[in-house]
Amino acid sequence: MINFRVVLNVVGVLLIILGGFMFATVAATSLYGTEDSFALIQSALICLLVGVLIWSTTRSSNKNIGKREGYLIVASGWLFVALFSSLPYLLSGRIPEFSSAIFESASGLTTTGATVFFDIESLPPVILLWRSLTQWIGGMGIIVLTIAIFPLLGIGGVELFVAEATGPTSDKIHPRIKETAKRLWMIYVGLTTLLTIILYFVGMTFFDAVNHALTTMATGGFSTKNDSMMHYSSAAIQYPIIFFMFLSGINYTVIYYSLIGNFKKVWQSDEFKTYVFLVASLIFAVTVVVYQVTELPLEESFRSVAFQIISIITTTGFVSADYTAWTPALTMLFFTLFSIGACGGSTSGGIKIIRHLVFFKNSVLEFKRLLHPRGMIRIKIDKQIVSPRILTHILVFLLLYLIIFIISSIVMSIVFSDFEQPFVTAIGSVATSLGNVGPAIGELGPMDNFAKVPVFGKWFLVFLMFLGRLELFTILILFTPYFWKTN
Amino acid sequence: MRIIIAGAGAVGFHLAELLSKENQDTVLIDMDEEVLSHANDHLDVMTIRGDAASISILEEADVASASIFLAVTTSEKTNMLLTILAKQMGAKKTIARITSPEYLKPKEKERFMHLGIDEMISPTQIAAEEILRLLERASFTDLFEFEGGKFSIVGISLDTNCPLNNKRIAQVEAEVENFSFRGIALLRNGDTIIPSADTLLLKGDHLYLATQNKYLDQVRRFVGKTLQPINNIMIIGGTNLALTTAKLLEDKHNITVVMEDKRTAKHFVEEIDRGMVIKAAPGNIDALKEEGLGSMDAFIALTPDSEINILTSLTAEHLGVYKTIALVDNVNYTHISQNIGIDTIINKKLIAANSIFRFVRKGKVEAVASLHGVDAEIIEFIIHKKNRLLKHQLKDLHFPKHSIIAGVIRGEDSFIPDGEFTFHIDDKVIILVLADAINQVEEIFK
Repeated sequence: MINFRVVLNVVGVLLIILGGFMFATVAATSLYGTEDSFALIQSALICLLVGVLIWSTTRSSNKNIGKREGYLIVASGWLFVALFSSLPYLLSGRIPEFSSAIFESASGLTTTGATVFFDIESLPPVILLWRSLTQWIGGMGIIVLTIAIFPLLGIGGVELFVAEATGPTSDKIHPRIKETAKRLWMIYVGLTTLLTIILYFVGMTFFDAVNHALTTMATGGFSTKNDSMMHYSSAAIQYPIIFFMFLSGINYTVIYYSLIGNFKKVWQSDEFKTYVFLVASLIFAVTVVVYQVTELPLEESFRSVAFQIISIITTTGFVSADYTAWTPALTMLFFTLFSIGACGGSTSGGIKIIRHLVFFKNSVLEFKRLLHPRGMIRIKIDKQIVSPRILTHILVFLLLYLIIFIISSIVMSIVFSDFEQPFVTAIGSVATSLGNVGPAIGELGPMDNFAKVPVFGKWFLVFLMFLGRLELFTILILFTPYFWKTN
Repeated sequence: MRIIIAGAGAVGFHLAELLSKENQDTVLIDMDEEVLSHANDHLDVMTIRGDAASISILEEADVASASIFLAVTTSEKTNMLLTILAKQMGAKKTIARITSPEYLKPKEKERFMHLGIDEMISPTQIAAEEILRLLERASFTDLFEFEGGKFSIVGISLDTNCPLNNKRIAQVEAEVENFSFRGIALLRNGDTIIPSADTLLLKGDHLYLATQNKYLDQVRRFVGKTLQPINNIMIIGGTNLALTTAKLLEDKHNITVVMEDKRTAKHFVEEIDRGMVIKAAPGNIDALKEEGLGSMDAFIALTPDSEINILTSLTAEHLGVYKTIALVDNVNYTHISQNIGIDTIINKKLIAANSIFRFVRKGKVEAVASLHGVDAEIIEFIIHKKNRLLKHQLKDLHFPKHSIIAGVIRGEDSFIPDGEFTFHIDDKVIILVLADAINQVEEIFK
């Protein structure tokens, strides 16, 4: 039988943490005026009240978290956090409509970065910071944060960690899960602080620097400017953002090993090498094209291309140029990149390079197997054999991703039937939501806004964002009959 | 504390479980992927797949920063090599699991210390000694002695004609006159209960009592158990444990050892001077009867097969053998076997893991013991200077709900403390703690 008490107990703790973040937002923006601060305080109090109520009524000595509880905690935890994160938008009246408020908070938490706001610059600082903060919390994951700071999740913490972290496998960088989670968050906080300082010194206001650092490290893509990163055309601001977006796409385990000086581990990572190679070759090829078809000088073409490619492949979704205006082939390329994703174990969304790598290596080896029917041909990643179990898991993931993409595209084509380009807009919006990227193509391109999506469409895209962020299985498993059976 | 365990067999896994629950940084090395993924799913430990005897694997496990290195694979030679390597690479303390009793002799200790093996532990030897102690106190199912026998914790099963049945703890304590004991844990249908004054004792319960050693006889009489001298003992199984046990017992008892394999039997004959060696299938009840099973005082089943051990012990019990002990290495059978009537169950691997665990915790606590089938530990602490426990009477100290103080040893005396009791410096406190309160209790005695 599923232990619902322990599930609710953790959800209570998550809401308490969320309330704490809301208070922190109010405190941090108090210098910039108090417009809408009251809405945040109200939301914080609601979170704390509900959180403490749930937490205190479900306390029990039985803290056994099995596989079922693990999945349920992560799925319901994210659902509750998304619901309560929309309170500031609703209570301040900035987004009066419920589905749009949920869309904004889900888009934030899942680090998608699609927005329903038309005039972002008119929003008060407290709302802007809250938007950015939801992305930052969702980037590394609120469950991982809970494991790091609360002792409550003891043994079962491993299950939760695996259910929330990205990528097909999760490595421990410390024998204890709590310490692993703590180190990941410390790196996350450290890099965010570093980026804030850099952005401040290269010319952003301190407030904008904080916001952009939060959403860059989370690979989220919310900006405090209507024109996103087009507002900041200087190379001094764009290069640090490019570099840190690239960093955020790297597996945090690899970043950890490079920080402690274990470079052998870094070079051993096939995924990291593929990521570097893929990004570099894409930037090279696209720069050549863009330099030829546009009037831009070489440096600007390179910067513009590097920015767009890295922003999309890490699923950040910042835009410094309208990539749909270059050539149709490049629009198609960017559409493809929506689903690639960066490394597993990073804050990025999408399918992740490790899965593609396994898929391609396995496909190539299949030909070898045809020629050598008796050969022991096994796929190796990081010099270790990939077990058949993980291989199947990855192939199933890819196929599910494809099927969900097709079905969802059909659904969204119906939703968008009144639009001028219903099909392109549909597949674009599905790919970008499932990949947690942000801007899409067609009528929801980098220059557009998701406010015009009909209500049902918004809910559907929210569902896709959660599917993408929690990598399909954690959500889908709840819809299987096996999950709810006792045996 | 970083602790590296090489070998994720039953002993290694159980150790990893004990240590990770203690919040130690535990690293488990094994070749078997399945065992490791099981460990990863159930324990908060780091796992490394590979041969622990390879230098690169040891480096990956970061042996240099290890406080303790435990080599508990099934191969004695591997364990010795591993500990030597680990010590060379910087592990502070090394413990190896071994099988040859020869190595355990005190005069050899220095030789191995010199090589880099700090401690050697033989599960077989420890289990054999445990069997010996159980036979000496045959009316009790379990026996734990503290401080060289000043204080004991014993287990009894409440069978049909036990005078304690259907009485409350308070009632029982009122009947006692000139000696003292305390019921500290009750095992009922697989649940562990810390009894309070109005807990009702039922037939079939398994009760653990704390008492001073000098009162053991009185306690035995009080709970309606008789003491019977043990002369004739039958041991079944051709295992190392059977041989070690037989050698320990042969001087004072008439022993009969039954095993099937002819060559093993020959080896036993060479090793054992007094006593009979019978070549017969240990599961063959008729053969056991023919060899006088019915007239034995004790029956010890030590075959590698848990099922045979349980079934033959039940038969012996049925035939009226006074004391039956069965080796049950399959943990899942532990509860059920004790419920259906076997006097004492021993689990070699748990015994081994617990005794290694004791070494690991040395310094922090004085001694630990784990009761079979009970999710609790008995831990002995010393009261240090400046501890806040010294200032108040026991009833005002608010010990965690899931713990109970069994006794206090002060110099040569020992007490079972009541509410008015106050601690002195250097008192040794024996306390039973359920698994979830261990950290809390350790905090109190820090």
